[in-house]
Amino acid sequence: MDRHASAPDDVTPILEVEDLTVRYAPKLHPALDAVDHVSFSIRPGEFVGLIGESGSGKSTLGTAVLRLTERPGSITGGTIRFDGMDITSMSQEELRPYRWRDFSTVFQSSMNALNPVVRVEDQFRDAIELHSSRRGGEVVERIKELFDLVLIDHRFIRAYPHELSGGMKQRVNLALALANDPKFVLLDEPTTGLDVVVQRSILEGVRRLQAEQGFAVLFISHDIGTVMDLSDRILVMYAGRIVEEHDTDDLLREPLHPYTKGLLGSYGDPRQETVRITYVPGRPPDLSQPLQGCPFAPRCPERIDRCLTDAPPLVEMPTTRTEGAVTALRLDAAGTWRPPRAACHVALLQRTEPGTPGLPERTVRFAGPAFEKSVGETTEALRGEVLLDVADVTKVFSSRQGLRRRETLAVDGVSFQLRRGMVTALVGQSGSGKSTLARMITGVDRPTSGSITFHGRQGPVDVGTLGGSGLRGYRSLVQMVFQDPYSSLNPNKTLEYILSRPLRNHRQMGRAELGAAIDELLERVALTPARRYRSRHAFELSGGQRQRVVIARALAAEPELIIADEPISSLDVSIRAEVLDLLQRLVADSDVGILYITHDLLSARMLADDVVVLNQGRVAEHGIAIDVIRDPQDEYTRRLLDAIPNPFADIYKP
Amino acid sequence: MKYFLRRIGYFLLTLWAAITLNFLIPRLQPGDPAELMIRQISGRDTEIDPARIEAMRVMLGQPDGNLFEQYLAYLGQLARGDFGYSYTYFPATVTDVIGRALLWTLVLVGVTLVLSFVLGTVLGAFAAWWRNSPFDSIVTLGSTFVGTLQSFWVALLLLFVFGYVLGWFPTAGGYEASMPGLNLEFLLDAVKHSVLPAAVLMLLGPVGWVLGMRNTMILNLGEDYIRLARAKGVPDKQIALRYAARNALLPSVTGLAMALGGILGGQILIETTFDYPGLGRLMQQAASGKDYPLLQALLLFTIVGTLVANLVADMLYGVLDPRARKAA
Repeated sequence: MDRHASAPDDVTPILEVEDLTVRYAPKLHPALDAVDHVSFSIRPGEFVGLIGESGSGKSTLGTAVLRLTERPGSITGGTIRFDGMDITSMSQEELRPYRWRDFSTVFQSSMNALNPVVRVEDQFRDAIELHSSRRGGEVVERIKELFDLVLIDHRFIRAYPHELSGGMKQRVNLALALANDPKFVLLDEPTTGLDVVVQRSILEGVRRLQAEQGFAVLFISHDIGTVMDLSDRILVMYAGRIVEEHDTDDLLREPLHPYTKGLLGSYGDPRQETVRITYVPGRPPDLSQPLQGCPFAPRCPERIDRCLTDAPPLVEMPTTRTEGAVTALRLDAAGTWRPPRAACHVALLQRTEPGTPGLPERTVRFAGPAFEKSVGETTEALRGEVLLDVADVTKVFSSRQGLRRRETLAVDGVSFQLRRGMVTALVGQSGSGKSTLARMITGVDRPTSGSITFHGRQGPVDVGTLGGSGLRGYRSLVQMVFQDPYSSLNPNKTLEYILSRPLRNHRQMGRAELGAAIDELLERVALTPARRYRSRHAFELSGGQRQRVVIARALAAEPELIIADEPISSLDVSIRAEVLDLLQRLVADSDVGILYITHDLLSARMLADDVVVLNQGRVAEHGIAIDVIRDPQDEYTRRLLDAIPNPFADIYKP
Repeated sequence: MKYFLRRIGYFLLTLWAAITLNFLIPRLQPGDPAELMIRQISGRDTEIDPARIEAMRVMLGQPDGNLFEQYLAYLGQLARGDFGYSYTYFPATVTDVIGRALLWTLVLVGVTLVLSFVLGTVLGAFAAWWRNSPFDSIVTLGSTFVGTLQSFWVALLLLFVFGYVLGWFPTAGGYEASMPGLNLEFLLDAVKHSVLPAAVLMLLGPVGWVLGMRNTMILNLGEDYIRLARAKGVPDKQIALRYAARNALLPSVTGLAMALGGILGGQILIETTFDYPGLGRLMQQAASGKDYPLLQALLLFTIVGTLVANLVADMLYGVLDPRARKAA
């Protein structure tokens, strides 16, 4: 059948979700609807992306669609139809024959999705024999075909899961999902935690296979760039509801919901002279409390009075495209085009009653706070005095195996300088030696050869030779900001307590001075008014706010150098700019230097003046951030750059 | 293969160290053990005839020569299974005494251990599968409660109720007939004598296995591969058995192998309470009777048992869990 010729009504959606509600009713906490009256459908062969911040209900929705919701969650309303068949209230027994034959999945953190004590072959055999008539040699043949699809050598068929690398496990999971030629595959954050370059290759594989085999995909991810790159159509979820449904290209041209704009705003083109990225302040609502009005209203820069009182329904929106005559010309994969939907009073009024008083100006950009970085600032920063001088540093780890000694060269002849009031980024994949370098700079490890000199206010210090009290003194001058603000702050302590520790330990402050110092710190990281934050507990804060506290804690010791190890990679994209902005203001306002360690060239460009690209312990490329990104000299840098998803590539040409 | 060879290597090394320590420690003690023993037998201040000391030396089999020659002789004795004479059961050799007690303990403790393991693991697995159900609550709370009871207290209680008050079972010993023989009458008698000690062991034994199995299996049930198995449409029974229970069993199997090694130490408290003629009672007697050769042999026995059990556990783990083979 020629799908492109069929009219929209002829196509039975492969997945049709109507008014679905999933409720969590834990014993000790109030019940909440993690998925709240959600409706959408996916047609055969369609690639649909589902995005939203963590906690927006994406995974709950995905799990519910597969009928895998576990207690204390349950589907309390609505229907799920799969290929026209209502599966909402089927028993697990009735559902079993369809599982993995018609719909399968690659789970979030599917690193552990393979049974560790069973050979890969047997795990495929399970899935294949349960749902097909293939047996014995035929099964092995099928596994070989599947391994070919995901480009893995056949010898790994007999391997145990722990013998595979992370990227390979992920590809094996993908192959497993395709074992019985399913009609629908749910991908729930399939590449989270993998290296950018590996992630890129896996997702390209997914898209290629999807095009070849024609299965439909619901792709859940918080990595908006990747979703945009791959999907035909996007669902945006916020507080358990779908707030926008839109074809990808159109969405990029004309996002409707302010929240979508906020998510998109977190991407910028690193090649621009001035890069601007926005962030969405605040945090998602507590769903166990009754909501009035639009759930996004408290964080929304475009809100009008009505948003605070009436919840906007998800309705079809007239857009520039539907207003024009081009409407029916472009067809999506299933041969039809459907009008976008959004749940926003402002977007609707702007398009239907533009004269309404108090209505904000129509915009495609997020009207909230933004973070900007321009090339001019860098030129300024390069005049600062040298703070840290890393000269020809090498680190060799030796490990003993039996009688043999194995030497690993973790860092190989690295040199760079970090100036006061400047940010230097160390960029590289995992295993590139960037963390080892950071450990040597903080004095945890000693370099095997070469020297690290810290030019502090009290004169130069050779870090490699420090010990005992010297090291302790040095460490109060060098502070760390870690990757995960959720695990680096004790959630049960108040901010006052958290910040008082370094003030007492490093600056020997008494009770009298503490109060004022804590307020000053909170204000420096823009947690204002300080009075209100002082007595709050860490668990009450959003990820971005927590990371601010971590930074405030680092500042408490009055350091001259801050080492920020992936400070934004565990945060939602919508709030990353918030933290970048803070770090940027720190360097601008004082003379600290920041060493920014990351795998992400875009954020390096946003924050850093100077970029050192590390590959296998060696400096692959070193230069002014903008130069490195615009005109990368090294093959490896180019690969890292290519791995950055750039959904806007076709929309805004530089 | 390398994994197994390495394990065996470690085993031999530890065994050698244990044997050597067992040899050295008594010899490093100050004073002459023979003289010490005579003194203990005949009282602190009495005059001691040097001939008695010499006789004691001979009896203990204390060889002459330097430490190294003694060491070699000791190893030779061990190889022949010669541990000298027991003081308490003189003129019986230590080997004979242990040999007589061994079977009693092996049967009583071994059988109850294996049964406890099976019962406990099965209960624990079901409790985990139906977690938060009434069944789970009863099993978990029950185990925790029983686990707090002291074995000798339970033993005394049973002894009092079923032995003295009701008179259903004999109150002491392992058998009634003066000389055990292999006939039905004797076997029935022996079984009758072991009912009460076995009951105590069966009541307290499963507790650890129940809780261990339940907790590991609940952890396992939360793993992604269980979710994936559900998504694959694997029937519940298969998920419970082949995925969750099989993986949760790994630590328990190691535990069982180790516990089997511990059998050789006997059940001191229980055996003493019921005056059961096993290794545990023997150990207690040897300790209170200062029967050094017997005590030393029993300790060596326990150590070797534990080491062998450890080796078996390691080997089993290597077979059951492919990850262990690589990590080692």
